Amino acid sequence: MKKYLIIGNGAAGVNAAVAIRANDKTSSIKIISDEEFNFYGRPLISYYLSGQVKPENIYYRNEEFYKSKNIKVLLDTKAKKIDTVKKEVLTSLGERISYDKLLIATGSSPFIPLIKNLDFNRQKNVFTFLTYKDSIRLKEKITGNSKVVIAGAGLVGLKASEGLFGQVASITVVDLADRVMASVLDKSEADIIQEHIEQKFINFKLQMSICEVQGKSSVSEVTLSNGETFDCDILVVAVGVRPNVVLAKEAGINTLRGIVVDEYMQTSIKDVYAAGDCVESLDLFSSENNRVFALWPNASNQGEIAGFNMTGAKIKAPKIFAMNSISFFGLQLISAGVISDSRSSGVFVDSTKNKLHKLNIFNDNLIGFVLINDNQRAGIYTSLINDKTNLSALAYDITSKDIGFNVYSAEERTKKIFDCNGGY
Amino acid sequence: MKKIYAFESRCLGCRLCEVYCRTARFKSKDVVKAHKRKNITSAIIVEEVLGPNNISYFALQCRHCKNPKCIKACISGAMYKNDKGIVRNDSEKCVGCLSCILVCPFGVIKKNDDGKSVSKCDLCADFGEPFCVENCPNEAIKFLNEGEARALK
Repeated sequence: MKKYLIIGNGAAGVNAAVAIRANDKTSSIKIISDEEFNFYGRPLISYYLSGQVKPENIYYRNEEFYKSKNIKVLLDTKAKKIDTVKKEVLTSLGERISYDKLLIATGSSPFIPLIKNLDFNRQKNVFTFLTYKDSIRLKEKITGNSKVVIAGAGLVGLKASEGLFGQVASITVVDLADRVMASVLDKSEADIIQEHIEQKFINFKLQMSICEVQGKSSVSEVTLSNGETFDCDILVVAVGVRPNVVLAKEAGINTLRGIVVDEYMQTSIKDVYAAGDCVESLDLFSSENNRVFALWPNASNQGEIAGFNMTGAKIKAPKIFAMNSISFFGLQLISAGVISDSRSSGVFVDSTKNKLHKLNIFNDNLIGFVLINDNQRAGIYTSLINDKTNLSALAYDITSKDIGFNVYSAEERTKKIFDCNGGY
Repeated sequence: MKKIYAFESRCLGCRLCEVYCRTARFKSKDVVKAHKRKNITSAIIVEEVLGPNNISYFALQCRHCKNPKCIKACISGAMYKNDKGIVRNDSEKCVGCLSCILVCPFGVIKKNDDGKSVSKCDLCADFGEPFCVENCPNEAIKFLNEGEARALK
């Protein structure tokens, strides 16, 4: 009987545990989590903030799920040190847990930029927005009079603004870039999103950063890089995340920006695997550079593959490309792959008010797309990217009409219907 | 497990399957009332194939993949596979983020009009045989095991 140990109770960790149990009915599986809650849908924390998701629905699976799979979860327990020679993990409670196979799925942490006088330990009204706990604390603190400043107009900052909408006096979003969601969207698409959000009286201060805050035990005022100052009752810092690599690094495991893994999700040390936001993944669009992708589907997939491989399987992890599906006040954005115009030989934009449909085509391959309020059958585009399908071999020009499964030949359709394995 | 298989040469493109799919999703199972309800989304899609001299049709719905991408992408835990292998969506948990639509290689998950959840084929698991199959006038969709379906192709 083997001992499987997983550090991290998020999408990667839990999917790994499920995969291990699917292949190994008897061994012990333990998950260590430094959070106090069972596995929850992390992206749901903004829905909790708005009230759309009730506390009982934030949990991804029910209690019965862990019991039925005989997965033991140690909550509120931090992994302090990994000893890869003795094959044990030291926890914050002083316990030493031994393992035969270990998975590091430690996720990522909010990046805190240098802001003069900002002190998370002292100031009680400054928040990050990554965990359920963050969202609970923020929800408790806000009042109808709160003037909220959000640093970061990326996905997390914008979702936080949506979650707070209607519950506070004002919301101002500050970002260094010239547009919202700068890492995902070009200016033309970003402008559609921004204008839609601005209709809800959320203010944007772009191409600016917060360089200073005032206040000792709480922040009362922020100063922007252009010298402008304004009142602030709540400051949310959401400028991005960094992979949690320290634990792995201190154990002598190879790390660069993220933990380095091979195509089977194994780290530089035998029997130690890593998956999810904490690792560097192979990028579908770059053979040299690995990238850190903080994406839910990626974490789930890598976790599952790592889990299978920990039980002795040999499954290669697929190469990754960016993908997002997200809505802001009813405006739906779905995007995948490479968006930037610079790499494409053909960009097809069909935009009417609040609707956009952009396909990024390069060398007979679809390499990316952006759909705003036009979501039907987006997954077929995603498949064309993933499979690197030659567009000239398809039944019609994908820029000529709405995509359907009829884009494939009858033979190909039959094959796909009988082969439907899903992932990898 | 049994799934719905389409036989293109038999499909008339009448879209009755879409009507009956909506009926299956309607409490009273009244076909007329269900058809009038615009807010019930069909989980079956009828597509056209343009040939040189003719148009043919096929119906398509969730393939209940062995290792479904939609479940991996789901942020809320709404999408799950039951013990019979049927991929289902729990509308109570679904927040309508459409991550499943982003990854479904068949493009067979649809957003509901309320914007808060999605609609997908559950093989009418709660009440017997799939309504679309039972009501197809030309046996263009059949409820079969994979082996049976391969033999007929």
